[in-house]
Amino acid sequence: MIALLRTEVIKQARRPRTWVALGLMAAIPLIVTFALWANPPQLDREGGRDLFYLATRDGLLLPAAVLEVMSRFLLIAVAALFAGDAIAAEASWGNLRSLLVRPIRRGRLLGVKLTIAAALGALATVIIVLTALIAGGIAWGWHPLDVRQFAPFVGIPYQSVGTLLGHLGIATGYIAWSLASIIAFGFMISTMTDSPAGAASAAFGLYVTSAILDNISAIGVVRNVFPTHYIDAWHSMFTDGVVSSDMWRGAALQVGYIIVFCGIGWWYFRRKDVMS
Amino acid sequence: MATGTVARADVGPPGVGETVMAVRGLSKRFGKGVLAVDDLTVSVQRGEVCGLLGPNGAGKTTTLRMLLGLVMPTAGEMELFGERVVPSGDVFRRVGALVEQAAFVPYLSGLMNLRLYWEAGGDPIDDADFDTALGVAGLGDAIHRKVKTYSQGMRQRLGLARALLNRPDFLVLDEPTNGLDPQEMRAVRQLLRRVADHGTTVLLSSHLLSEVEQICTHAAVMDRGRLVAYGTVADLTQSAVSSYLEVDDPARATEVLRALPGVVEVVPDGAGLSVRLSGAERWQLVDALVRAGVKVGTVTARHQLEDAFLGLLGEETVR
Repeated sequence: MIALLRTEVIKQARRPRTWVALGLMAAIPLIVTFALWANPPQLDREGGRDLFYLATRDGLLLPAAVLEVMSRFLLIAVAALFAGDAIAAEASWGNLRSLLVRPIRRGRLLGVKLTIAAALGALATVIIVLTALIAGGIAWGWHPLDVRQFAPFVGIPYQSVGTLLGHLGIATGYIAWSLASIIAFGFMISTMTDSPAGAASAAFGLYVTSAILDNISAIGVVRNVFPTHYIDAWHSMFTDGVVSSDMWRGAALQVGYIIVFCGIGWWYFRRKDVMS
Repeated sequence: MATGTVARADVGPPGVGETVMAVRGLSKRFGKGVLAVDDLTVSVQRGEVCGLLGPNGAGKTTTLRMLLGLVMPTAGEMELFGERVVPSGDVFRRVGALVEQAAFVPYLSGLMNLRLYWEAGGDPIDDADFDTALGVAGLGDAIHRKVKTYSQGMRQRLGLARALLNRPDFLVLDEPTNGLDPQEMRAVRQLLRRVADHGTTVLLSSHLLSEVEQICTHAAVMDRGRLVAYGTVADLTQSAVSSYLEVDDPARATEVLRALPGVVEVVPDGAGLSVRLSGAERWQLVDALVRAGVKVGTVTARHQLEDAFLGLLGEETVR
């Protein structure tokens, strides 16, 4: 199992596209930092809740600002890309048939491919945060956050550097975990198709559909089970300094989707006729 | 995948009776459609080189894919080395395969592809037969180039190399000389003969009847999913041993030849005569004709297996 994992990691690491995608995850925070530094936003009525304004006062908030932007589109797209590749890439190259004529069970191959897709999604998230943290620190320094000077504000008024870093860690973990339903879906489609782009598009399509439907209040309480419903719940780490109940619900929701999508993918692939 | 050199030592000389592959009543229906493989029963003994012959759509590739655990049979049983075939099961330690066009991870070099393929099994790199593999691939420095730059012939050779990495006891090849030029084809055929001489059992499918005739000890003929004939190549061709002669006096020649024992039939064939033999040798024909004063221009052997093959299928099924 370890050997299989190692060879699959090497396969991803040697792929130029992996570095381009991860590089993009580092580049965007740098661009945002530069833009904010060159053209800082003014304090307005949103004041203490405007992450972009706060970022220019305290570099520790920059990762939160960047995540705000990227977790709604680019990060999802990159995670969907890695997930869609899992099996479909090998099928599209024609290599899947040779991978399977080895004493390595299909289930094990699936497990390893899924692990790598998930790890890459998490890595993308961490790269965003670390880059933003360092860039923010260089541009504006790391300070404790005291929002009492910015009215109006509801929530804990003071967070020390240590507390802020801790909250950032939790928020990062939550966002990375929230990608799970998209990754699991992309993985599932990947076992069913020979087109990695198709699988990635399907996963991204799930995200978009969920996000759009989530905005239609007429749908009512069913929205609570949409995979993206709690995607912004991490804000509470910074505005209120607590892990909100929405965050717990969001985390639990991902578990459900993982079980369903991965289960279907597993069941399907185990008995699939591999013609590619 | 460590069959390695240790395992080879206890295999022993090819002898009677170890059944390497056996299928019984194997069938495959795709969806609600046509039966791609219909009640196939055939087996391959150790040391044999068995050719799977048939027109396009006969079910050869589907059969091989089922045997390799890639496609799930609708009915029937399959065994490799006496064990039931389980997709990606342990028995594949002893099997090397090349299915249709050889394919690899395109952005990695040939060597990297082989190495990662082997290392995923967790066995030490020294257990793999890289000497044979690299020799078979015959790519030289190109082995360090990305596979996406390779021609089809190079990929095919690399695919064969990959199939031989684990020193397989059973080699399953689907159209192994596909995409190769005549020189490369000959090299592959020689390789397969060497591999067979070392005790590896081979099952290959081919369109090229002359190739099967050259390399194989046994042949199984399939048509529309069913097994039409099975036997040694010698047995299959015996019913259609024939020769083509061009002579200066066809009438006299016909007379002489018909009188010979072991000649089944003499018919005019274009500019010459087609002689069907059963026991007589070509040199005997020439000898008899020369003694009778007939001058002989051309003497060639017919494509024996082709005749047998077409005869078995019946002319109307030739596409």
